[in-house]
Amino acid sequence: MKKIAISLYVAVTIALLIWGYYQAIYVAPNDAMQGEIFRIIYYHVPSAIVAFFFFAVSLIGSIGYLAFKRSSPGRAQIADAWALAGAEVGVVFCTVVLITGPIWGRRAWGIWWTWDARLTTTLVLWLIYMSYLLLRRFAAGSQMQTLAAVLGIFGALDVPIVYMSNRWWRTQHPAPVFGGAQGSGMAPSMLHPFLWNMLAWFAWGVLILGIRYAVERHQQKIAAAEALAALEA
Amino acid sequence: MDQAAILDHQFRIAAYVVTWTIQLGYVAWLAMKWRAQKREAERLGIDRPKTLR
Repeated sequence: MKKIAISLYVAVTIALLIWGYYQAIYVAPNDAMQGEIFRIIYYHVPSAIVAFFFFAVSLIGSIGYLAFKRSSPGRAQIADAWALAGAEVGVVFCTVVLITGPIWGRRAWGIWWTWDARLTTTLVLWLIYMSYLLLRRFAAGSQMQTLAAVLGIFGALDVPIVYMSNRWWRTQHPAPVFGGAQGSGMAPSMLHPFLWNMLAWFAWGVLILGIRYAVERHQQKIAAAEALAALEA
Repeated sequence: MDQAAILDHQFRIAAYVVTWTIQLGYVAWLAMKWRAQKREAERLGIDRPKTLR
């Protein structure tokens, strides 16, 4: 039953991604000012929103790990696996944001990069979570998960700063399209393709988050078996 | 198509290709990790965890 549900979810996600692509390329009109380059928004913005969501998953996992670490080690391991999965998938989406943004910027602004508030805070967010992943990869010892959880919580503090950066400071990055000043928003002909892509990338993100979580839980089980084998030897 | 439109088209394609390369590259890396774990689990004689059943 579970296998059927997963297969169905994968099929729906692939269908959504194909439909999202079709909407972005064939249904959405060209932007009057930017032309075709505007279509990058259908991958760039959903990737940013989905990255924020997964960093929130990592935050909850990190808090859960610290909360359960003494009282319920089993739950703490589950929380830790969610924290790692959220951070890693978040970094994947954040990488997409940091590459597609400059590709758009090169055509729209004539430059690949500028130290504008939104770009800089996003780069800092990516660097924090990359250091989180490197800590998990290379640090050893019983304190590694605790240190990672603390770093994961601090890293998540940058998410609201990234979100608010182009509201607090008026810089080169375009003003917020959603929830911005009066008159902000998108024409329905562009909004519908955007929402389809938002749904598609969210579904895709949840899929790879689930896979990453399962891989990490499996890793925990292998590590426990290896530790037991070492004790018995 | 004028030169600017051609460049816009190429940059848009580059952005989409990069997105898919990153996403599918990550899934491929997960698949390799999964396979390596499976072999390791077989070596240690342990079952898949409950979450994977």
